[in-house]
Amino acid sequence: MTKKSLVLAALTASSLGLAACGGGTGAGNADGGDGGDGEQATSIKLVAAEYSKDNTKAFWDEFAKKYKEESGYDLEVQIISWDNIDQQSSTMIQNNQAPDILNLNAYASYAKDGLLWSAEDVIPQESQEDILDTFVKYGTYDGKFYGFPDLASARALFYNTELFEKAGINEPPKTWDELRDAAQKITDLGDGNIGYALPLGPEESQGEFSMWLFNNGGMWKDGDSWTINSAENVETLEFLKKLDEDGLTQNNPGRTNRADAFDLFKSGKVGMVVGFSPLAAQLDEDGTVDYEPAPFPTNNGGESQTFGVTDYLMAFKKDGNQDAVKKFYELYYQPDQVNTFIEKEGFLPVTESGVERFSDNEDLKVYLETLPNAQLTPTDDPTWDKVKLAVQQNLGAAMDGDPKDVLDKLQQTAEQQ
Amino acid sequence: MTPRGRRRRRQTGQISSGAAWLWLAPATALILGVVLFPAIQLFRASRGEYSITGLRTGDAGWSNYTAVLNHPSLEVVVRNTVIWVVVVVAATILISLGLAQLLIKQFPGRRIVRWAVIVPWAASLIITSQLFVLLYDYNYGIINHLLKKVGLIETSIDFLGDDRLTLASMIVVGIFVSLPFTTFVFIAGLNAIPGDVMEAARVDGASAWKRYRHVTLPLLRPALMVASVLNVIYVFNSFPIVYTLNDRNPGYAHDTTITFMYKLAFESQEKDVGMSAAAGIGNVLLILVVIAVYMKVVNWQEQTR
Amino acid sequence: MSAAPTSTRRVGTTLLGVLVALVFLAPYLVMVLDSLRTSTDVKTTPPSILPRQWQWDTYATVIGDGRFVNWLQTSLLVAFGSTALVIVVAIPAAYMTARYRFRGRMAFLVVVLITQMFSPTALVVGLYRQFFELNMVNTYGALILTNAGFNLAFAVWILHGFFSSIPVEVEEAALLDGASRFQILRKVMLPLTRPGLVTATIFTFIAAWNEYIVALTLMLDDAKKPLTVGFRSYVTGYEQHWDQLFAASVIAVVPVVILFAIIEKHLVGGLTAGSVK
Repeated sequence: MTKKSLVLAALTASSLGLAACGGGTGAGNADGGDGGDGEQATSIKLVAAEYSKDNTKAFWDEFAKKYKEESGYDLEVQIISWDNIDQQSSTMIQNNQAPDILNLNAYASYAKDGLLWSAEDVIPQESQEDILDTFVKYGTYDGKFYGFPDLASARALFYNTELFEKAGINEPPKTWDELRDAAQKITDLGDGNIGYALPLGPEESQGEFSMWLFNNGGMWKDGDSWTINSAENVETLEFLKKLDEDGLTQNNPGRTNRADAFDLFKSGKVGMVVGFSPLAAQLDEDGTVDYEPAPFPTNNGGESQTFGVTDYLMAFKKDGNQDAVKKFYELYYQPDQVNTFIEKEGFLPVTESGVERFSDNEDLKVYLETLPNAQLTPTDDPTWDKVKLAVQQNLGAAMDGDPKDVLDKLQQTAEQQ
Repeated sequence: MTPRGRRRRRQTGQISSGAAWLWLAPATALILGVVLFPAIQLFRASRGEYSITGLRTGDAGWSNYTAVLNHPSLEVVVRNTVIWVVVVVAATILISLGLAQLLIKQFPGRRIVRWAVIVPWAASLIITSQLFVLLYDYNYGIINHLLKKVGLIETSIDFLGDDRLTLASMIVVGIFVSLPFTTFVFIAGLNAIPGDVMEAARVDGASAWKRYRHVTLPLLRPALMVASVLNVIYVFNSFPIVYTLNDRNPGYAHDTTITFMYKLAFESQEKDVGMSAAAGIGNVLLILVVIAVYMKVVNWQEQTR
Repeated sequence: MSAAPTSTRRVGTTLLGVLVALVFLAPYLVMVLDSLRTSTDVKTTPPSILPRQWQWDTYATVIGDGRFVNWLQTSLLVAFGSTALVIVVAIPAAYMTARYRFRGRMAFLVVVLITQMFSPTALVVGLYRQFFELNMVNTYGALILTNAGFNLAFAVWILHGFFSSIPVEVEEAALLDGASRFQILRKVMLPLTRPGLVTATIFTFIAAWNEYIVALTLMLDDAKKPLTVGFRSYVTGYEQHWDQLFAASVIAVVPVVILFAIIEKHLVGGLTAGSVK
């Protein structure tokens, strides 16, 4: 009997002991990865996020062909869904197998770890000048431009015109009070109608909250100091909690993810939601909901602020890949490449030439006008990469708790990093 | 017929270790290569310090382990795990014993019923989890719809978003997907019981319950062992159900140690591969202890001698 | 026993059987119905049991999608490959440990059991590194080896149990006839352990069919992803094709159920043959 336990114990111990010995040989740290020896790489790898099932892969496959023709290098393309790309990229980096180009919604931590090429090494001057200033600003870490935007999106208030009409509301709200009134009137229609769909679940709560706090004169960060628990932000979160308590939102907004809020809006039961161009594309395709996008209302009736988002195509610094990487960006930022991609995926341009090219598109007008002045989350601060996760995991708790407490804790988390 | 006498005669005899290991070589190679080597890597990772990007920045000693042990949510996560494993496994075994008893009986359409029982197992767990998210849904869920229609409830029940119900809702799915495998292990076990044994008991005039209690159950012991140990391991390690059904809820209030480990690495504010690896080692040790204790209780050595 | 109570009991059993089948099938019935709706209809309040508008061409869309066909092929290949490997490797190990005593036997069984306790979720990073070093990232072989490795324990264990339960006398007779160990295994033992083999086969097949995390990490090429990973493309934060997701799911469940239907018949046949003795 005890013999068996002994065997078990011995085995566990020996396998752990073995492991300890293994540790001694050292898991090679940040030392370059493949392609070493100063030789020129003949092939580079792109890991890209999947924006849409039909377009993303098709675009990059086509791009790889063109790239091969123009530069002579091979481009190995790997498409990963958004759900999994964090895990995938982390696994690759742990194994010193980072791709040459990685498409992600963050970059600053990678820049901080010294893994990336900066613009001066790999982005042709004219492309750099073409990228919108606001994206250069948020793409710059420690004085250098690392976060090269692949596409952008800006949020707007989507409202269901049919429901608005039924409820006797003539125009989209300009202030938060008007928004609350509109939500109340739509909720009062009964039949399961919901005034405002508020997604504060872990998927993207930082996005929803950004839209609100920017329109209350709030910020995540002011200069070098975090302002997560500023008076404006506490007021904002309290307003949202009140919306929930008054029954003007869908059930349980603290546990509703963005995709679920979109689904609700698509079902025609929701008066208002924060949307962006991919949602518009799907609504247009379905054709079942009459909606309009409008500038997001502000608390005090001032000028509406928009929350912008951009994803990044960052370049990993490896021996011998500089030229190939540079050629990649040279091609990508050619107007007919980057803008084709953006157009197909239904997003917004990141370059001056793109804004110009899209300017006659009526559908995008509401976003394009605000895009150059869009406010972003502080993606240029590596701390934000962790704060964002803390916000996602904790913000929803304010719906059942004290908003100030929640924001105080988040502020603390940010300051501790 | 003393069981001991039967058991002793099961071994054919001695063989030289060399010859024996030749037969075990392929299995050993596979296990060493695919399971133990990565496990060693996991241990190494648990002793490393990692940046949020996954880059190893130095050695951490045991600090990842202390960080996990001091994590404010650890207690609730462990409690969830215990409830999750115990309830799912116990309910699965009880229900499966009944199902197996039913499915070895001869009745028209039995084969079709057996096929139906296999379906939750044949469907990918990811799909089944996704499906149940929809079935449970507050707005579009068919379960709420039916409950409302028959007048049991007025407003929808938030099966996945109400803290009092989330774990229970996940447990139901956990049981549902564990039933097929367990039931079939029991069917195989029941079928392996020699017909003459049951016949003898029947001739002796033992009641159905007595026959079940004193003949069937003892002879089902190997199947029960397989089913309980494996279910404990699978349910403990189960990832998709908890991860998918709980994805709307902030924090760790409804996580088990497996999803906790995953979130530590990729989704939480820690986003720390080293800490996650330490939690992974902790998981293995935990299940090891549980199984060792269980085997001691049921006296596994006796079975395999 | 007289005929009357038996037949009433039989009717009761049958009814119970129907009820069980319904409980197990109901969720998947919803899935089939959802695959025949428009994506918006899946998410409409209040829900309707039957589609408000039947949409049959979703299946054509999914099957006509080259990516889906690739995913399906990968899943089938990996599931069959892993199952074959597990059975071939597990039989000799289980037989040897069940029938003979030798040095290290206990240790082997314990190690097998321990390997069962590791979750691939925790080991993906190590697996990636290992297969990278073997130059096997993005190969079916890597996935087959991994699935075989993680499911070996169960197969060894269950076959070990079945071998142990066969009376020694059966073998001794054959040994006296001068048969070799291998011949005994093949001609005498394996036919008697068919239920165990069937259980191990189904089990491994389904586990490999359902595996997600390792495939996600190792299969970089879109065409080589299995269905479990591919499914993720249908519903994302940016676009939601619920109809296609569920149609693909239905298509993915069918081959496994068919496979089981075939094997289950063998199981019943083998069992009847075995239990006459």
